[in-house]
Amino acid sequence: MTAHVKDKDAFQRLNFLYQAAHCVLAQNPENVGLARFYCHTQKTISKRLVLRQDPSVKRTICKRCCSLLLPGITATIRQRRHYGQRRTVVRCLSCGLTKRFLNNPNYKLWAEQLEALLENQPKSAQSPNVQQTQQKEKKNVKSDTK
Amino acid sequence: MEDAIYKTLPSAEAKELNIQVLVMEFLGDDAVLLSCPQGPKESEAFVSAFLKRCLPGLREEVIQERLNRKAVILEHSIKQKKKQKRKRRKGLSAKEKRQLRLFEIKPEQQRYDLFLPLHNLWKQYIRDLCNGLRADTQPQMIQTKLLKADLHGAFVTVKKSKCPTYVGLSGIILQETKHIFKIITKDDKLKAVPKCNTVFSVEVDGFISYIYGSRFQLRSSERSAKKFKMKGSIDL
Repeated sequence: MTAHVKDKDAFQRLNFLYQAAHCVLAQNPENVGLARFYCHTQKTISKRLVLRQDPSVKRTICKRCCSLLLPGITATIRQRRHYGQRRTVVRCLSCGLTKRFLNNPNYKLWAEQLEALLENQPKSAQSPNVQQTQQKEKKNVKSDTK
Repeated sequence: MEDAIYKTLPSAEAKELNIQVLVMEFLGDDAVLLSCPQGPKESEAFVSAFLKRCLPGLREEVIQERLNRKAVILEHSIKQKKKQKRKRRKGLSAKEKRQLRLFEIKPEQQRYDLFLPLHNLWKQYIRDLCNGLRADTQPQMIQTKLLKADLHGAFVTVKKSKCPTYVGLSGIILQETKHIFKIITKDDKLKAVPKCNTVFSVEVDGFISYIYGSRFQLRSSERSAKKFKMKGSIDL
């Protein structure tokens, strides 16, 4: 069932860093700096290795100052009306950056959709390899003819 | 209006007329002129004071210089607004980060017992990473895993160092920067130990591995992407 994931170590590391940030903040809600440091390294690792993170993780990290957004401790969450639509507004308490999310029950994130699951897209993953091998064969044929 | 000025002015002030006429034209009423001082020195003082009041943006030397050139513009000087470049960046620059002190741990929070859960979490993470850490696993495999692993929360001791005072320090790593491990010791002190010329030892479930700090001088986020060479000259 558990297929071989490419950067398993890195994903484990990201997971650990995210948990560590939570752990530090749970121990002492004042210690925002260290949690921020962990989130910052997490962000840079995922940037460096080009790993996509789940929206639920991304939405709990401030885009500007990388602090972990926990409602009541490092962030405020309000329901506001904006142009006739209800939005969830998350505001980082340390730098003041706001994020707005539409409350649309019909909207589905890409990660929530069925196509995004790894099991449902083995064909697309295999096809480039097949093409590459075909190209290689072609090249070999060419070299033979020469 | 010109006639009115000539009538009120004595002929002796004909020299200063130029300036005073300018003043008149600017203000457009006689009241100022009537209160004008009549001697040459006094009028000079008056002009300088008047100009100073009317052009608050300029310094006295600048005004004098302009008077010497005889070209005085008594208009309201419009400051040209500098077009501010709009920042498209949402994030902070490195300088701003340093000024805001985003990543610093305050002295009240430097307590060893606060970070014990972090250490437990790290132990779990390492066990998970090395598939359970059985005694029969090859040490080489663990080493390669540990190279890419995260060290925040690890319990380390300084084994060797060029500086003898560092030797024997032990504690939990809180932060890892490019050149420094920030370690909290059991007596609640935050120590910054440079990686250069130091050997650390990490103990996980009976496996002891050594970290040669001089080879480790990278940011912890960069380490995950770096390829280490198997053979390296080991100094120290």
